[in-house]
Amino acid sequence: MRFQTVERDSLFTRLDFRPKLLMIAVISTVAFVWESPIALAALALVLVIACLLAGVKAAYIKTVVRVMIPFYILLLITHGFWNTDQVKALTGKEVLTPLFTFPANWWLIGGGGMSVEGLLYGWAVIFKTLALMLVIPLGIFTTEVDNMIVGLVRAKVPYKLVFIFSSTLRFFPLLFEEIQTIIEAQRLRGLAVEKMGPVKRVRVYSKVAIPLILGAMVKSQQLEVVLQSKAFTGSSERTYLHESVLRRADWAVIALFVLLFVLAAVLYFRLGVGKFAWLIFD
Amino acid sequence: MGTPIAVFDRLSYMYPRSPEPVLRDISLEIREGEFLGLIGPTGAGKTTLCLTLNGIVPQFYGGRFFGRVTVAGLDTLAHPVSRLARHVGAVFQDPETQLITTSVENEIAFALENLCVPREEILKRIPRVLAAVRLEGTEQKHPHELSGGQKQRLAIAAALAMQPDLLVLDEPTSQLDPIGEQEVFAVVRELNEELGVTILMASHAAEQMAEYADRIALLSHGELITIGTPDEIYSQVELLHEHNLRPPQVATTFYMVKKAGIPVPNVPVRLEQALRALDSLRGECRIAPPQVFPEPLTRSGDPLLSVRNLRYAYPDGTEALRGVSLDIRAGEYVLIIGQNGAGKTTLVKHFLSLLKPTEGLVTVDGADTRELTVSELARRIGYVAQNPDTQIFNATVGDEVAFALVNLGYPREEVEARTAGSLDGLGLLEVRDAHPFSLPKGDRARVVIAAILAMDPEIIIFDEPTTGQDYRGAKYILDISKQLHRMGKTVIVITHHLYLMPEYAERVIVMGKGMILLDGPIREVYHQAELLRSTFLSPPQAVLLAQRLARREGRDFKLLTPREVADCFLPSKNDEIPNGRA
Repeated sequence: MRFQTVERDSLFTRLDFRPKLLMIAVISTVAFVWESPIALAALALVLVIACLLAGVKAAYIKTVVRVMIPFYILLLITHGFWNTDQVKALTGKEVLTPLFTFPANWWLIGGGGMSVEGLLYGWAVIFKTLALMLVIPLGIFTTEVDNMIVGLVRAKVPYKLVFIFSSTLRFFPLLFEEIQTIIEAQRLRGLAVEKMGPVKRVRVYSKVAIPLILGAMVKSQQLEVVLQSKAFTGSSERTYLHESVLRRADWAVIALFVLLFVLAAVLYFRLGVGKFAWLIFD
Repeated sequence: MGTPIAVFDRLSYMYPRSPEPVLRDISLEIREGEFLGLIGPTGAGKTTLCLTLNGIVPQFYGGRFFGRVTVAGLDTLAHPVSRLARHVGAVFQDPETQLITTSVENEIAFALENLCVPREEILKRIPRVLAAVRLEGTEQKHPHELSGGQKQRLAIAAALAMQPDLLVLDEPTSQLDPIGEQEVFAVVRELNEELGVTILMASHAAEQMAEYADRIALLSHGELITIGTPDEIYSQVELLHEHNLRPPQVATTFYMVKKAGIPVPNVPVRLEQALRALDSLRGECRIAPPQVFPEPLTRSGDPLLSVRNLRYAYPDGTEALRGVSLDIRAGEYVLIIGQNGAGKTTLVKHFLSLLKPTEGLVTVDGADTRELTVSELARRIGYVAQNPDTQIFNATVGDEVAFALVNLGYPREEVEARTAGSLDGLGLLEVRDAHPFSLPKGDRARVVIAAILAMDPEIIIFDEPTTGQDYRGAKYILDISKQLHRMGKTVIVITHHLYLMPEYAERVIVMGKGMILLDGPIREVYHQAELLRSTFLSPPQAVLLAQRLARREGRDFKLLTPREVADCFLPSKNDEIPNGRA
């Protein structure tokens, strides 16, 4: 098992990590600030397309969406029913447009109802989380770990932190293998996981922690010995095999995202582009 | 052999919180250009001694340190580890934990980057060290994609790139299959002989150490017992036994011949020496006629385990098994051998229903394993995996042994009774309330075996029980397997250590590239030297001696052990033929 990387060579894989870091920062900020379901849906769509073009597997995106579905349903329900004060303030409306209302004699929820504005706000949050989640694979999966390391160091992140980050990437697959081995050993001792309810299953899985943690402690001490014998001190004063040179394409991408950021800010504050009411309740 | 590269001067050391020293008053010199072998049982202090050379002991571990260690003239107490690392390259046991980056070239560059070596110089050194360990062309590969032997060679290349004065290797082959072991020894020898690299290597591989080392140091209980040439050390068979070490089989054989009163001027320690000695012995003694061994027991009845045309492909498409068919009957003791990747573990995982056949059929006592769950099969087949530490999940030894019984729903009284019985059988009753992880590794392996035996399975599979164990540890586990076999259990063992198995196994299955290459009684299979070599397995030295004898005498000698070979030589004056030989 390996940390996921894309196999396709594209503009994304050829870029230095620094423009990608800037891209992640700009898109995350914009996605965070925007509240318009239309603008956020467009952003999420652009990111899906960009991910697919960069070679991120469609199956990965599907998995992300599938895992999030229960959370999304919860978002739609909570915003649709209960997010009234915020959307009233955002739209400037006194009364919200009801989608449907429960009969007043229903216990607990009687008289309550779902509003169109609340539901739209729920959609906006869904697209926001989707955009935030898609920008990560677009930036990270398209970058070799070595380039990430050098890119982060050049971006003045202390080497010690960069090293912790990169060795986590290196040792995660090993950890997963170990978990698999432990679960296998438990099944071989008669543990019928397939016949258990979720609560019991969680309790049983917690037993995986004992060998896992003790194993990790032994490994981390071994790792420390290995690192020391390789003259590792954590000092940022070191040389690098891989160079990180910003080429014309990198500068162009940096310029593009700076420009996009300024543009988004101007449009947002001057014309309200990206605000919740934009194009819907103007 | 020139000036000393490293000097231990009356070195003693205690780890913090350890009641007694792990190293006691050691004085030793490592000379420039030599290959010094370090041998000793588990717990002798070999690893600790290796770690004093780059200052990790005591600078990282703390503890109490007496005496002095100098490397390239530098006192290891007075210089930081990062400075000493320039002079001492280190290679460790576990190929997984010592490779820390994501590509081969980065692995080599890592230490150099830390030492602030300029980029241009790093680029020059990478191809040079890769060529030295014969890994050219792998620069961009992820270390994960390499085999075990390649990983260890990469670790050697990374150490070599620092251009150290001394290369220290701490049991670098103990986790490898025979091919990997051969690769690593060959590379280390080339570095030593052709590039003049000074080597300190700790290893249990007696045959190889006798072949390659210039000198051998024997360490036991933290003391340097003796030091000398491989001939001087390995010919002292009694001394080695006293310290729970295994001499090369040729040395054991000729030691026994000598004990029988036949003049052996020098006990040989290397195969070619022994073959020559064997030829010259013929003038000094009589050769007993070949011993007749009882025909191996043929068992009738329906097979307990049956595999028909089994094919298995992993989800990524790799074909791990390509048409395997075999039957194992109740009461057999079967040894499965072959390189890593030959399909041994994949095959046994089908018995346990951990894997389902892509094609073909696997049955246990007539029942298709596809219809059985892992936990159902676990009652009947016990599987002891290699590393005990991933098989322990409970806070006390007693709970660990009871774990399976509770899962299988036995009534409380029976859980109690079976747990107590199993603990008693493996001598663990006294540590019943101890935390399994507080016990030494050998004892943890026993806890796991006790936990499996508590289920009273009919079949017990030991998957590489001898890997990473010293001679005594390996024998201990195999002796348990023998006991179980005597009790009527069916035993299956996977191991790379062929020389350990003649006392135990009846039948041997040789696997290669997902197929069964050979399946037969151990005496037949071990003597198929050519076929074994074609899959990079080498028969034990005793078998090779027996084959030489057979060629000389023009008769068949289907012998397996040093004892059997030694028994063929009779003193010439003694006319009486001992009992038991026809």
